[in-house]
Amino acid sequence: MSDSKSGVFPVAGRFTGSPVRRSEDPRLLTGRGMYVDDIRLPGMLHAAFVRSPMAHAVVLRVDTKAARSAPGVRAVFDGQEMAQLAKAGGGPLGDMGGEGVESPIFTVLATDRVRMMGDPVALVVADSRYLAEDACELIQVEYQELPAVTSAEQALDPRSTPIFANLGSNVLQGPTTERFGDVEAVFASADRVVTASLTQHRHQNVPMEGRGIVASFDPATGELRVNASTQGVHGVREALAAQLDIPLEKVHVRAGDIGGSFGLKFGVSREEVAVAAASLKLGLPVRWIEDRNENLTVSGQAREESFEVEAAITKDGDILGLKVKMVIDAGAYPGVAPMLVGTIRQMIPGPYRMEALSFTATVAITNKASYVAYRGPWASETWVRERLIDLISAELGRDPMQIRLRNVAVRGEPPLRMVTGPSLAGITAQESLQRAAALIDLDSFRERQELARQEGRYLGVGFGTFIEPAPGPRDPDETPSEEEMEQLRMRLELDGTVTVFTSQMPHGQSHQTTLAQVAADHFGIPFSQVKVVVGDTDMVPMGFGTGGSRSATMAGGATLHAARALRAKVLEVAAQLIDTGPETLNIIGGMVAAEKASTRSITLVEVAAAAAAGDRLPPGIDRELEVNFAFDGGAGGWSGGTHCAVVEVDVETGLVRVERYLVVEDCGEMINPAIVEGQVRGGVAQGIGAVLLERSAYGEDGQFLSGSLMDYLLPTATDVPQIEIEHLETVRLDADVNFRGVGEGGMIVAPPTLGNAIADALAPFGVRITEQHLPPARLLELIGTMDA
Amino acid sequence: MSLSAKGLSTDEIFQVELTVNGERREGAVEARKTLADFLREDLALTGTHLGCEHGVCGACTVLVDGEPARSCLMLAVQARGSAVLTIEGLAQKGELSSLQQSMWDNHSFQCGFCTPGFLMQITALLEQSPNPTEGEVREALSGNICRCTGYQSIVKGVMAAIASSNPKDVS
Repeated sequence: MSDSKSGVFPVAGRFTGSPVRRSEDPRLLTGRGMYVDDIRLPGMLHAAFVRSPMAHAVVLRVDTKAARSAPGVRAVFDGQEMAQLAKAGGGPLGDMGGEGVESPIFTVLATDRVRMMGDPVALVVADSRYLAEDACELIQVEYQELPAVTSAEQALDPRSTPIFANLGSNVLQGPTTERFGDVEAVFASADRVVTASLTQHRHQNVPMEGRGIVASFDPATGELRVNASTQGVHGVREALAAQLDIPLEKVHVRAGDIGGSFGLKFGVSREEVAVAAASLKLGLPVRWIEDRNENLTVSGQAREESFEVEAAITKDGDILGLKVKMVIDAGAYPGVAPMLVGTIRQMIPGPYRMEALSFTATVAITNKASYVAYRGPWASETWVRERLIDLISAELGRDPMQIRLRNVAVRGEPPLRMVTGPSLAGITAQESLQRAAALIDLDSFRERQELARQEGRYLGVGFGTFIEPAPGPRDPDETPSEEEMEQLRMRLELDGTVTVFTSQMPHGQSHQTTLAQVAADHFGIPFSQVKVVVGDTDMVPMGFGTGGSRSATMAGGATLHAARALRAKVLEVAAQLIDTGPETLNIIGGMVAAEKASTRSITLVEVAAAAAAGDRLPPGIDRELEVNFAFDGGAGGWSGGTHCAVVEVDVETGLVRVERYLVVEDCGEMINPAIVEGQVRGGVAQGIGAVLLERSAYGEDGQFLSGSLMDYLLPTATDVPQIEIEHLETVRLDADVNFRGVGEGGMIVAPPTLGNAIADALAPFGVRITEQHLPPARLLELIGTMDA
Repeated sequence: MSLSAKGLSTDEIFQVELTVNGERREGAVEARKTLADFLREDLALTGTHLGCEHGVCGACTVLVDGEPARSCLMLAVQARGSAVLTIEGLAQKGELSSLQQSMWDNHSFQCGFCTPGFLMQITALLEQSPNPTEGEVREALSGNICRCTGYQSIVKGVMAAIASSNPKDVS
């Protein structure tokens, strides 16, 4: 492709926009990946934890004597000993969330109290994992059981036993109420008010690789070197330095390949702090690899919320406003729940035009696993809104698609903002709804549905629409903070290749491919000549890592701009070497060439060598062929789309078959369509799992009941249907960067889409669906063929 | 409860000789050591991954005498005298197998953790049934869990590998 047409910059699109094969794959397909469990260090020891078998108890006594003399045991730490070595505090996101929220006081390993099943009580370090687990069994812990608080409802009862003594109750936050628009006036003017109680069950991330850490402290240098399974190496470094009270510059964190995360692996967990503390104490490398039971029981769980909603509507189906009361069950230890209150509140209007919102939130502490981020952590707003719209439609006897189209905001028309504030610039909800309805051929489906019902077969169609801040349109008058900027470093190497250093920490998102695509196009070099370095605090710029669907816009944009800046520097140097103006030069395929064929061309190797040597260049020219770029996100923008599911419910067995699943998606300009579609389909699969299979289940005594993959059911190849994807054309908000994140949307909108389809299928039975987990037994209860 | 906690000896060591990826290997292991741990720790073949250690997820699948086996549920001593094939044995002389190539071409995987188990399971399937339908492929893969992809890209890669190995079927 000719570069000259663009005048200044090479035309993007040689690699960007193509399903370039992943550079990660040659190692991953041959067993040569390097996950944290694959790290081998000389003298490395192995850690295992003794964990609480009860949800809530006083720890009376921990007897570690027998374990200390067990074969192969190098050290045992109980809670008191660990408290001397490391500070607690910080949950999976490093911070007990939220302004005005008092932090619970607790320790890295339990000392006086266990607060959830699997709470770590002691740490054994031994020559092998086998020996460490053997020794764990020799540790005697005496508990005095306390009443377990296993639901938010119990937690909000002032008579419940406070889980954290310093808080005095089990209410972590709230109730707090925020109002937008004139709520009372809107409700006074409504023709009717539709109410619903909607619930969202506990999900969990379940990455195929659990958590893990190898910590290696060298007493001679005072340096702690850590290999982690994480979404961001700098967060691990900062948390370990703070919690172990060692200087930041003495901590070095690296990460290799990461076996998935979906929000789980931010910051450091209590276990990871304990393992690093053990290495510090012993002066030897210590490794801990979480097993699946630990992962399911204690790594964290997500999304347990209940909502009381009132919707003010007109008789024609205009949704004027909402009153929402939300209670979050945040589990036992600090997590992200308090931080999410604001996001759920802000996002609940979605792409709709409503004029008023009152939102009340309460965060409760219970004796369950801590609340962690899971792919679209605020997603219950979409579940509630999209299910509510179908309930409103049912009450009015109208088709839900009509109600959605009637209420959805239209790009360029008022209101230009959500009632909660964010701009609706670039929104394509109307287009995606109309396109999905057309592709599914709604009218002919309704005919088919009617005929099927006459045969005793129950088909249903459901839609859901969403917007996702990826990173959201930016207001021109808002300046992003330094933490919100995306830092990126890029340099031309002496061999003529380009290296990109990014704070992104891919764990399936393929940034080593996508960022190389963007860099290749905008610098002017073959894709294979770009290397993307990730996961090393000594090398990569500051940044929080990968999450929140930020990477496409933020890292993609930083790469684009850095590549252009580096290109300009290289052309300045090259112009000196071949005695011409830089504006006449281009980099094409790794060569610097002039538009005029008479001028000689020069290789990037020659440019790099001349810049390093300097003797052929005039003084004052910038010879450092490296750039550091901080990107503010440009104009930003929404990702979004509409999903549609067609299902058949077998009313004899309660089984749901997804006959068709359609996604109409807008994530702006795609860097790599195959990678985008992989993100969308993976998210939808998790949403299908959440509705039909997955649930983090607890008994009334707080016992965790889904601690294996035979109990916590993940979707398999026979559960997930073909997922059709149609991409909408990009609305360009930014002159240069219109890549938008796509990591979370599938998981955000698939649950209400499927729930709506199931509700539609079961409409003849008068079934009203207000919960998200709909396994066969529950559907039979709702249909009435089985007693609840 | 572990063996030692029951007062049973854990220190009896057994010799294990077997063939791994065509090479004769040996080791000395406790009876309780799983084949997965033997491969990963004693033979440094870390391509075989442990995803659940209770036989559900399939990440640790290897072929033992041509049959897929969950190496987390099999003891190393049970593999004595067997021929074991792991993910490291699929590529020959640095050349990807046609299956690996097809999975690369079709963006089959994301994080890569489940990949070894899928590739070994599919290798066994295609040995036994070179021309399965998509439904049969999905059924054969339903004991392997991938949390990233939703499976469509994996199935697509397998179907493409089948098509490329049956060129006469391509009209």
